[in-house]
Parts: sequence; structure tokens; C-alpha cells
Amino acid sequence: MQLEYFLLLGAALFCIGIYGLVTSRNAVRVLMSIELMLNAVNINLMGFSNFLDAGEIKGQIFTVFVITVAAAEAAVGLAIVLAIYRNRDTIDMEQFNLLKW
Amino acid sequence: MEASFSQTIWIVPLYALIGAILAIPWSPGIIRRTGPRPSGYLNTLMTFAALVHSIFALRETWQQPAKYLSFQWLHAADLNIAFDVEISSVTVGALVLITGLNLAAQIYAIGYMEMDWGWARFFSLLALFEAGMSTLVLCNSLFFSYVVLEILTLGTYLLIGLWFNQSLVVTGARDAFLTKRVGDLILLMGVVALLPLAGTWNYSELADWARTTDIDPTVATLLCLALIAGPLGKCAQFPLHLWLDEAMEGPMPGTILRNTIVVSTGAWVLIKLQPVLALSSFATNFMMVVGATTAIGAGLIAIAQIDIKRSLSYSVSAYMGLVFIAVATQQDITALKLLFTYAIAMSLLVMSVGGVVLNTITQDLTQYGGLWSRRPISGISYLVGAASLVAFPPLGCFWTLTEMADNLWQTHPWLVAVLVIVNGLTAFSLTREFVMIFGGSEKPMTVRSPEGLWALVLPMTFGMGFALHVPILLQRWNLLPSWSQLNSTVVLSLIASTLIGASASAFIYLNDKIAKPIVLQPKAVQDFFAYDLYTAQLYRVTIVLVVGLVSRLISWCDRYLVDGVINFVGLATVFSGESLKYNVSGQSQFYFLSIVLGVILFIGILCFPLIPQLSF
Repeated sequence: MQLEYFLLLGAALFCIGIYGLVTSRNAVRVLMSIELMLNAVNINLMGFSNFLDAGEIKGQIFTVFVITVAAAEAAVGLAIVLAIYRNRDTIDMEQFNLLKW
Repeated sequence: MEASFSQTIWIVPLYALIGAILAIPWSPGIIRRTGPRPSGYLNTLMTFAALVHSIFALRETWQQPAKYLSFQWLHAADLNIAFDVEISSVTVGALVLITGLNLAAQIYAIGYMEMDWGWARFFSLLALFEAGMSTLVLCNSLFFSYVVLEILTLGTYLLIGLWFNQSLVVTGARDAFLTKRVGDLILLMGVVALLPLAGTWNYSELADWARTTDIDPTVATLLCLALIAGPLGKCAQFPLHLWLDEAMEGPMPGTILRNTIVVSTGAWVLIKLQPVLALSSFATNFMMVVGATTAIGAGLIAIAQIDIKRSLSYSVSAYMGLVFIAVATQQDITALKLLFTYAIAMSLLVMSVGGVVLNTITQDLTQYGGLWSRRPISGISYLVGAASLVAFPPLGCFWTLTEMADNLWQTHPWLVAVLVIVNGLTAFSLTREFVMIFGGSEKPMTVRSPEGLWALVLPMTFGMGFALHVPILLQRWNLLPSWSQLNSTVVLSLIASTLIGASASAFIYLNDKIAKPIVLQPKAVQDFFAYDLYTAQLYRVTIVLVVGLVSRLISWCDRYLVDGVINFVGLATVFSGESLKYNVSGQSQFYFLSIVLGVILFIGILCFPLIPQLSF
């Protein structure tokens, strides 16, 4: 096993996340894409901590933090989506272009 | 106490200046109740004082050597500009002539401007002219001559534009100002160029310098041409002569001044500069050609006019042309004498014609006729003026013209021919005007035309008396050419030309068998001279057109190119702001995308140098 494969997997997952982030019309799916990106980051961190820092595994500590923060962020994100849904009866990102020029 | 009047001669211009300022309160907007007349009386008084002062000073300076005064005007670094005054019998004599003619014109104006409210402005301007001309003849410095010439140009503009609610007055004043200004500006070039060459602007020192200098002929030619250009415009010479024709729109008393002495101001400067002008033979030839062309051309134009003021004004141009010829042939004394006799005669003519116009309204010669029986004084004054203007012995201009022709006979015989022709043409035109006004049968306009009031007749008869005494005065002053030395051919040809011109004119215009109005065959020739060689059109298609086009082009460049570049910067900024705001699309995902792209770009820039080190 090599570090590169982990990193490539992470990068691929991150790119899929970006693609989903930019193209999804559903706001929840946008949040899901963000989760994908965060998980790609986690894979990166885990890979680095395994291959480069096997002694102190600081990357794994980072990962734990990222998971916690991601959970909190997802909760707040869903709350925001809910708040918007209450007002506008939709979660279509195309309908949220009120704050333009 | 001996020479107190001549020592204080520099006060003479101040009399008139004080009068000019004192007249202003009687403008209709300041003293609203009692009318403008006191301004005229006051100025007449001031002029009279100036005249008396000048006459006493003339007695003191007579046969005395010239004295010089000098006032420091400006001293900056190594430039000294002094106001030099020359007190000699010539300058003081000119002062007497100026103040005398001014007095005549002002008394005349008291009668002529009877029905006019603008006395304050009019008399102020007359006084300004008097002050300017007195300063001009007194000052012995080219620089201050130029200063005064410019002030007089402005004065001309204001005086011609007295009745500015008439459109022809406005255009006439404009042309008079611009035409004379162009000449003056070129004169300024000459004046400025003269200082480094000669190191002085004092006329006497300039004459000394001119005698000894050996400057480059090209420089001398250019300098002299520039110095001629000023008087060329002032004296209404070809091709800067149209203004005098249009200046006839001004009030008649102003015309007296203009025709007699204002145009002579240029000639005065020219005469004073004669030693310098003699440096360049090209310039003197140029002056000769200009003078001769103007004299003959204006003589012909004067014959073809039907406006009595304009007919006289072209004779003015013609006589100034003769002065140009005299200066070009180094006869400055003769030129001065010619100015003297000419001014007396021309003032008489203008005063006579002015009185006729005032009581007959029209200025159209073809509407006149048969005034002799009812206006004998005007008629006689006109006759004396006309006889003094042409070579008609024994009156004024005969002596000066013969003297001039006699001097020319040895050196430039063809100029004698010019002189004879001009004399004949002037005689023809003056007689034509006389016969058309006073002779023949009366026309509807002239059925009732009484002689003018005393204020018109008094200066006229006074002038007539003076004109009749001019030969005696000349004799007493020993200014007459001696009979024995005169060339009889010249004298006889001048007298013959006078007689031929006058009698031909009288024959044509008094003869009922010849149909009036006279039509020359071909008609085009008559129109050519009647319309003043189409000078107005000539100006319009040459200089006015060019200046107009260039100024329009420059205005266009300013408006569209210079302004446009700056406006383009503003517009580009506005446009970019207006278009870039669409980046704020309102789609949060677009923002995500731009963040991601930004990060990728940033990383790409950071990593760009590392790319060559990659190895697979």
C-alpha cells in the first residue's frame, strides 16, 4: 500500500464532492456533497498520519476533530435549510438567487 | 518762466483724459434727470484749454531746437522702459492740429448730436482719442507709440460701435477692430524684434542706430515689413482697407476725427520710423507699391461709390497711400506737410457733407441734387475743401503735392505719374460728389434742406477760413517750395490733371444729355469698383474661411478627441462596474465555484515553478 492511492482516493472523492456542491439543485444534496468533501479530507488526514506520522498519529486527532465539527456544521446547515424551507416552501437552490446584483 | 508752456506740454493729453473721465457721470444711467449736454460742454472746454496750451507752447518752441524729457516707466532687471517726450515745433504743431480739429469736431458734435442721448459715451471717446493722439505725437518712443496705437484701436471699436443697436454698426466695429489689430500685432513683432537689434526704442536713437548699423539684409527686410504692417492697417491701405469703409457706420463727428487724424496716427509712426525703414530697399519698394496701388485703387473706388461718406473714405485711403509713397522715398518732411494740409482739407469736406446728411437724411448720392441755392455755406466749404485736397493752386495740398512730385521726378518718375493720376481721380470723385449734391435739379429728398445750425456751420466756416490761410501760413513759416527750383512739367501736369478730372466730372454729371444714373460699359467694371473690388468676399473666402475652418477643426478636436479620451476613461469605468456586477449572480453555488476556481488558480500559480522538476 502506498500513500499516493489514499491521496488519489481522497482527491477523487473531493472532486466528486465539488461537482455535487456546484451542480446540485437540492440544498440537502449540497450539504451531502460538503460531507463528501469533508470525508475526503479525513481520508487524506488518515493517510498522512499513517504513512508519515505513524508515531504520534496527529492526523487521526485532526480527523476526530473534523468529524465532530462536520457533525455540528451539518446540523446547523440542515437548520438553515429548514428555516429557508419554512419561508419559501422550497429547497431548490435555483430559487435562492434573491441576493444578486 | 520763459518756456513754461512747452515744459509742461505733457499736460496736454491729460486735459483730454480728465475730460473723458468727467464726462462719464452724464451717462443716462448715472445722472438720470438733467440730460447729457454738460459732458459735451465740459469736453469742449478741456479741448479748448489744450488748444490754447499747445498754441502758447508752439510760440515758445518755434525755431528752437527740440527738447527731450524722459520719465521712467518700468525698470526690471536690465530692461529700462522710459516714456520719452519730444518737444519740438513739429510735435507741438501736430498737437495744435489735433486739438484744433478736435475742438472743431466737438463743437460740430454739439450741433450734430442734438437728438441723441449718448453724449457722455461719445464725448468720452472723443476725448480719449484726443488724449491718445496727443500722447502719440509727443512720445518719442516706439514702444509707447505702439501702446497708444492699441488704445486707439480699442477707442475706434467703441466709437464706431456707438449706436450698437444697428447691426451694420456691430459688424463694422468688429471689422475695424480686428483689421487694425492684425496690423498692430505684426507691428508688435517688429517692435519686439527691434529692441535686441538696436537696444533702444527711442526714435532719435533708432535713427542714429539705423545710420550706422550693418544688419543682415533679410533681417532688415523682415523687420521693416513688420513695422510697416501696423501703419498699413491703421492707414487703411490695401489690403487692410475694408474697415475704413465699414467705419463710416459711426457717427459723423467721429468720422471727422477718423478721416483726418486717426488714420494719420499710423502715418505718423511710419514717418518717425522712416530712418529704420530705409534700411531695407525691399521694404521701401513694398511701401511704394502698396501706396501706389492703394492710391489708384481707392481713387477709382471712390468714383464708383454712391454713399457720400464712403466716397470720401476711399479718398482718405488714397491720400494715405500718397503718404506711404512719400515715406518710402525718404521725404518725411513732405509727408508731414502733406498730412497737415490733407487733414485741414478732409475735415472741411467731412464737416460739409455731414451737415448735408443731417438735414437731408439720405446718404445716397443719387437721391441728392440742387442744394447749391439753399446751402451755399456748405457748398462753398465743400469747394474750398475739395480745392485744398487736390492740386489746385494756391491752396494747401497743391504745395505739398508739387513738392512731393518734384522730389520724385529725379528718382522715381513713374511715381509722379501715380501722383498725377491719383490727383486727377480725386478731383473727379470730389467734383462728382459736389455736382451730385449741390448741382443739377432737386430731388424729392432734397426739396427742403435748410442750412445747418450754428454749431455745424461755425467749425465748418472756421475750418474754411483756416484752409484758405494755409498757403499764407506755409509761406510765413518758410515751408513753401521755392518757385524757381520747381520743375514746371510736374507742376503743370498736376494742375492739368486736377482741371481735367474736375471738368470731366462736371461735364458728365451736369450734362442732362447723359442718362443718370450712369452705367459704365461693361457693367462688371463698375460693379467691381462699386463693391470695393469685392474685398468683403475676398476676406470671406481667404482669411476668414481659413481661420473659421481651423478654429472649427480645433474645437472639434477638443470636443471629441481631448474630451473624448477623458470621457472614455469614465465611461469605461462605469461600463465595467455595470457589467462586472453580474458576477454577483445570487447563486450560492456560483460563489462556491468561484472560491474553488480561485483556490485552484492560486495553487496553480504557486506550483507553476515546480512543474519542470516533476519527473515520472
